[in-house]
Amino acid sequence: MADYREAPLATRPKTLDPNEYFNISPEHRRVEQERAAIRANLKRQYQTQLNNPLRRELIEDPALTRWVYARTNPYPHFRPTFKTSLLGILFGVAPLFGLYYIFKTDRNRKEEQIKAGTLQRRFSLAT
Amino acid sequence: MRTYIQWVGQQSLVNMAGVGFRGLARALCKANGSGVRALLPGCRAASGVTKDSLPGGFPETPEERAAAAKKYNIRVEDYEPYPDKGEGYGDYPKLPDRSQHERDPWYSWDHPDLRRNWGEPIHWNFDMFIRNRVDTSPSPVSWSTMCKQLFGFVGFMLFMFYVGEKLPSYQPVAPKQYPFNDLYLENGGDPEKQPEEVKNYEI
Repeated sequence: MADYREAPLATRPKTLDPNEYFNISPEHRRVEQERAAIRANLKRQYQTQLNNPLRRELIEDPALTRWVYARTNPYPHFRPTFKTSLLGILFGVAPLFGLYYIFKTDRNRKEEQIKAGTLQRRFSLAT
Repeated sequence: MRTYIQWVGQQSLVNMAGVGFRGLARALCKANGSGVRALLPGCRAASGVTKDSLPGGFPETPEERAAAAKKYNIRVEDYEPYPDKGEGYGDYPKLPDRSQHERDPWYSWDHPDLRRNWGEPIHWNFDMFIRNRVDTSPSPVSWSTMCKQLFGFVGFMLFMFYVGEKLPSYQPVAPKQYPFNDLYLENGGDPEKQPEEVKNYEI
């Protein structure tokens, strides 16, 4: 596996990362073991619930609940700063007035042309 | 996931999955508190989720950081919240922007189509990084090369079409030439009279 070359569209898998083989310090190993311990704990919890023969309900995923809650409730943590206000104006207020102005002037121009009789109705579908 | 929040009357949001009719009635009556707080539901959710396992505000002290890391099942050293710029993230962890395409397809995930294990912290933009959508895998050539090639080609074609509009070139054409003095007899000319000579050539 020393001559592994990355496939064009995939990142190098973690098990083939050279750092895993050549730069191992006890610190790095301990860190990886801690992460593996957390992962294994979660796996154990899930498998216990999954293989429980008396379980009737769906297995609730607290990480999913937290994600949904965080995504649907950003308002308590919102603070009007320069950047957030700018974004709000740019996406909320400016299109409103800008599009109104654009549509209104275009329609006015078209109305003038119709009244003057100079409007060209191209792309006619009849004959 | 459906949310059980409803607009009641004009102003107050009410949690319909909440506990007890009293909570409902209370939320209907009171709307004190300023700004957004008035719209938050006044009763608690009825599922098994407790308040301290839900995301909260930005962690200021190291104890809050440790508690948040434990809540999200991340190591304390790995836990990195989004910078506190008032953008609404709270204490949600900032995970690396890697799409699910990059995860090992041969490992036995708990949810194989999402390539995710149960309980694993979910990226803020997880619904963007699923395997049907944005792919952050390495591309064959670099981003700058791709941009240059695409916009170079499109720009060149646009430029050439513009030049073609301004400087058109056609096959040379002339009006159609007819024999017999422009078909004098066929066009109803008098047979007695002598037609004028029409010369369509030059030798």
